[in-house]
Amino acid sequence: MLEVLAQGAFAEPMASITLAHYLVLSGAMFVLGLVGFVTRRNLIIMFLCTEMMFQASGLALVAFARYSMNLDGQTFVIFVLTVAAAEAAMGLALVVLLFRKQESLSAEVWNQLKG
Amino acid sequence: MTDKLIYLWPEVTLFITTCLVMVLGLSPQAEVRRLCAWVSAVGLTVAAGLAANGEPDPNALLPNIMPFAKVVIAAVGLLLLMLLAGTVDREYEADIESGKTKFNPLRSNRAEFYSFFLFSLTGLMLCASAESLIWLFLALELTSLPTYIMVIISTRGAKSQEAGVKYFFLGALGAAFFLFGFSLIFGGTGATHFDDIADSIAANGINPILTLGLLISMIGLSFKIAAVPMHFYTADVYQGAASPVSAMLAFVPKTAGFIAIITICAAVGWNYGPNHTSLPEGLRLVLWITAALTMTVGNMLALRQRSVKRILAYSSIAHSGYMLVGVIAGPGPVGGSFTSNGLAAVLFYLLCYGFMNVGTFAVLASLKHADGSEADDIDDIRGLCSTHPLLGWSMVLCALSLLGMPPLLGFVGKLGLFTSAISAGEYAIVIVLGLNSAIAAVYYLRLIVTPYLDKPAEQDVLRVEKVGIITRPMVAVISAASVIGLVLVAQPLIEASSRAGVATRHGDVHAVEQAAALRDDINEPRP
Amino acid sequence: MLDLAPIAMTLAADSPAAVASAPAWVMLIPAMPMIGVVLCTLMSIMGVRSKLPAFVTVACLAVSFLLTVFMFTGHSEGWATAVGWEWLHYSWGDGNGQNFTANFAFAVDGLTILWMLFVTGLATLIALYASEYMATDVGQGYNRFFIAFNLFVFSMACLVMGSNLLMLYLGWEGVGLCSYLLIGYYYKKPEAVAAAKKAFIVNRIGDVGLALGVYLAFVHFGTIEYTELFASEKLQGYLHDAAEGHWSHIPWQASAIPLFLMVGAFGKSAQLPLYVWLPDAMEGPTPVSALIHAATMVTAGVYLIARTYPLFQVSEIALPIVAWVGTLTALLAATIGMAQFDIKRIMAYSTVSQLGYMFAGLGVMTSVGAGFHVLTHAFFKALLFLACGAVMHGFAGQLDLRKLSGLWKVPGWRIVTIGMFVGCLNLAGFPLTAGFFSKDMILAEAFVTPGFALIGWILLFTAGLTAYYTFRVFFRVFVGPVEYHAGDDHHGDDHAHDDSHGDDHDAGHGFHPHAPGWAINFVLATLAVCSIVAAGLYFIGDHGWVAGMIHDSTAHIDPHGDEAGGSHGSAALFGLDPHKAMYYISSVVGIVGIIFAYAFHLHGRKSAGEAPAADAFKAALGPIPRWAENKWYVDELYQFLFRGPLLVLSHIFRYVDMLLVDGLVNLMGWLPYAVGGRLRRGQDGVLQSYAASMAGGLALFLLVILLLVNQSA
Repeated sequence: MLEVLAQGAFAEPMASITLAHYLVLSGAMFVLGLVGFVTRRNLIIMFLCTEMMFQASGLALVAFARYSMNLDGQTFVIFVLTVAAAEAAMGLALVVLLFRKQESLSAEVWNQLKG
Repeated sequence: MTDKLIYLWPEVTLFITTCLVMVLGLSPQAEVRRLCAWVSAVGLTVAAGLAANGEPDPNALLPNIMPFAKVVIAAVGLLLLMLLAGTVDREYEADIESGKTKFNPLRSNRAEFYSFFLFSLTGLMLCASAESLIWLFLALELTSLPTYIMVIISTRGAKSQEAGVKYFFLGALGAAFFLFGFSLIFGGTGATHFDDIADSIAANGINPILTLGLLISMIGLSFKIAAVPMHFYTADVYQGAASPVSAMLAFVPKTAGFIAIITICAAVGWNYGPNHTSLPEGLRLVLWITAALTMTVGNMLALRQRSVKRILAYSSIAHSGYMLVGVIAGPGPVGGSFTSNGLAAVLFYLLCYGFMNVGTFAVLASLKHADGSEADDIDDIRGLCSTHPLLGWSMVLCALSLLGMPPLLGFVGKLGLFTSAISAGEYAIVIVLGLNSAIAAVYYLRLIVTPYLDKPAEQDVLRVEKVGIITRPMVAVISAASVIGLVLVAQPLIEASSRAGVATRHGDVHAVEQAAALRDDINEPRP
Repeated sequence: MLDLAPIAMTLAADSPAAVASAPAWVMLIPAMPMIGVVLCTLMSIMGVRSKLPAFVTVACLAVSFLLTVFMFTGHSEGWATAVGWEWLHYSWGDGNGQNFTANFAFAVDGLTILWMLFVTGLATLIALYASEYMATDVGQGYNRFFIAFNLFVFSMACLVMGSNLLMLYLGWEGVGLCSYLLIGYYYKKPEAVAAAKKAFIVNRIGDVGLALGVYLAFVHFGTIEYTELFASEKLQGYLHDAAEGHWSHIPWQASAIPLFLMVGAFGKSAQLPLYVWLPDAMEGPTPVSALIHAATMVTAGVYLIARTYPLFQVSEIALPIVAWVGTLTALLAATIGMAQFDIKRIMAYSTVSQLGYMFAGLGVMTSVGAGFHVLTHAFFKALLFLACGAVMHGFAGQLDLRKLSGLWKVPGWRIVTIGMFVGCLNLAGFPLTAGFFSKDMILAEAFVTPGFALIGWILLFTAGLTAYYTFRVFFRVFVGPVEYHAGDDHHGDDHAHDDSHGDDHDAGHGFHPHAPGWAINFVLATLAVCSIVAAGLYFIGDHGWVAGMIHDSTAHIDPHGDEAGGSHGSAALFGLDPHKAMYYISSVVGIVGIIFAYAFHLHGRKSAGEAPAADAFKAALGPIPRWAENKWYVDELYQFLFRGPLLVLSHIFRYVDMLLVDGLVNLMGWLPYAVGGRLRRGQDGVLQSYAASMAGGLALFLLVILLLVNQSA
């Protein structure tokens, strides 16, 4: 697996940076985002963590697109950014609404529904 | 790209309707605002008509899925529309009429509510039309994003806001999962179009990155269908949202998720395993474990609930598990019938589930307490058959159908899942499915016995009464009637779903030839 | 056993008629009552409180009847099917029996038309009658009645017109349901509820038989579509074997099918041992008794056997069993009927008895006789019931023949009396009535069929009994000195049916009977005319009109070609053509029965309650009349034979269940509950813990699956 990933397909100045580097970075971003989402209580930070996970995917897409020389992947990233922006707008509006209601940004105040 | 446009007229119609509704709902005239629901209904009807006359797309992996799925979506959408009518802004409109307040476009939710509903349905139809990962991702997001808002504005209480915050945040997490999965699928095959993905897999086989991508995207998509391990939000969100919106959540995202799962699996193909009839081991295993856990967890959680909405939410989880069995079974042998085609069974079951599930939620939505709060507790439906016979019997019939009692619609649907799994040789999951059907009987029987046999509680302070929206009991009755009536026309529906469940890229030569023949067949008359 | 060889041979030689397609409008025949159901339901929802539902029903059914007449006039020979849509189609292979198809389709042949003509015709008339009869219930009860009435006609149409056994089963269950609903119409009366339950449960026993028969037919022949089933090579081969007498060549599965179907027919048509529900079913409103429990639904069993006649012929014992069961039922019911005092109940037992005749007719291979008897019986029995209903309606629920007398002389009761008289003549088999001809067909055939002479004698004896008990009712109630007592609460120890009609009458001295109105009189007159005219059908065409219809169907038997009325030309009875001989013999028997009735119940009778001659004769017979009055203790016998042991058995099983099964089940049941409770703790409502579980789930899934896959790879 790794030797496949390590095949250099990138232009000279960055020849030493292989697909694997990008993927490791992307995976790290994804996991960090996930960990952040689980551990942080602040709704805004949690939302930013999901943004980070989105961008991790974006990074992987760009790297794969370059690797397989198929620019569809980079087009995908543009769409992902758009959706992420729309989601961000919704998310922030929601957070404002919730803050007005509970005077708190903590996710833990919302636990009436359970069982 | 533009030649795909001819398949998209239903979506285009819905989109135009959406824009129209968004403007109409902001009109200062109450009469014009009231048109929202009617215009939506007309749009949906036209979309259904266009979809019914839609042509199959010979280049798609599932050439016939579009007409079938879109007609089902539009039909159930019409039912949902009737159910959703009057959910938002009732008191506000009453205040305006009595002159208490003036109309304030910023305060009104009506336009958003209807247009978001239509947006969501548009997204759902686009899922069925999807031909690439990008398209599928956008369609899934278009399906989900409006529903987050709808949950929040469905009632003015804190509960629906709590439901909204959970749904939104966990939904974003789920979307991040399957997006990451999609990016890995792209990485593993170097293509975004499902056609190219299928070609690449056929040519180069499966590589680890692709496997990882498939697993992660399946788990991400489990959020949409409310399957383990992404099911946690379901009960809280269904309970917090208004009943009509819960009914919608149980159908719309679930259908989107299943169509996405089927599409991705079709790209991979059911030609692995000892008989070349199953999915690649990793994918099959993730679906298998998900299916088994989902139905078991859903049913067990439903056993000890008092809230009818939570029972229905957990039953919705369990039903996702049932339907996954069909995906595991796959389309079966080429030219096989409904009994061996798992995809047809899933698509047919989605139709059945749409009707019977909307029916149960419609009964709840038709009832309220004297103080205006929603009926939800199991005591609220106690003795319903004697107090509100139509609603009570609708509940009984829909619950019987959810239970899979012959000869109701749910039975016909479940039969397809069983037989397809058996003919695919997946005996273990069939046993799990059978055991779970037995467990599920316990809580469905509560939904049947409580309205039918129990006496209504006397001197109940919070006695339930009918809400003043005539369409809601109508939906309940229509659903109950469909649960019986559609059995009489089961065969045409079964045939349509069998056609829809045919996957052309089925690996073996014969299927490809058949697909090519189909393509020629369809392409010929068109110059 | 009966030598079926020549008959079966000719049947086997018949090549299956080509299946033509019927015009699509025949589907309107069942559709019209369905429209009636919908309209009446709407009226019920809107809370209509008038006679509107009745007239809507009459209109729908009349259209249905007219269409049936068109269907009849437009029908040529053989099958004609109208496929509504493909209903169910499952296949799990290409082999025989791996392809299950049932179309929502209607198949028309002579048998279907015969049945549909009288079903829709009588339903129309009886709906009209009911519009007046049920008038005291106008409102929700009235609407409910007509919903169920329409639904019944729809189900009956499905049963009769369906093109496969599944459609028949659908209709079968549908009529059973409607029968249950209508028997229990007066749901506030415990007797009515008990009777409805009894009918439902006894019919379930029969339905199990039918269901098994249908399954087996599918498993064995691989199809349940009539046109395919009866034309299948397998069945034709068996018929050929049966004709040659090679019974051993026929697999037991094939010969078991009729035995199962038979059980269903016995249940629905109230034959031994399952007849006990029908007399109790008289708790329902009289129009229901007339339509469902006399004229139409109870003949469904006859229809079933006639429809699947070829299946019955591949079993050596099936038809003889049918013949014997029918004969014994006819005798038993007639003896019970003789000792009853409730006139509606007498009519119920006579229905059971006459159904016995039809089964006997089928059993001795005269499907024509059976079919003709079904038709004539439908008319005269409906007439009799409706006349009894008019009495009940007019005399505040009085049905005891000891409390009514001389109605002929009461003003306004002429038409009822004439109707009753015509009906009684038919039932008694008085010469030259329709009932006389149809009964004779069966009797003659029984005598000439080898091995069935005893059946002939029993049936002949029963015919005498029938004439006696029929005219017993007539002589007691309709002629003689005028005397009547209203049925009411203080006559409650008698069979106080139908309390709701008694309320508005002042019982006792000031009682004035409530003479029937135009609707009831019109219907009675029409039915009386029909009953008389039906006799003429016997002389139409070559072998009688009914013979023509039956010959054009699956019930077709053509024993020797050109002999009249399906008789055995070679056989002779007392040196005469059997039918001619039977005319004389049964005329004599019938008239003797009537004379006995006259001597016992009219001659010298001074009051309603006492008939000196009859009472003296009864005393001379010792305890036998009391046994007969108590229905030979059959209900008690069943109680003893089945309910008692079942109760004991159920107690035993209860303990086994409690100790063993429940323990296991509780353990199995406890597990999901316990796990469910544990899982609920995971649903703690906190966003983060959900997210953590989701993330953990993702990680765990990936780990497990990658490990498993790597291991297997």
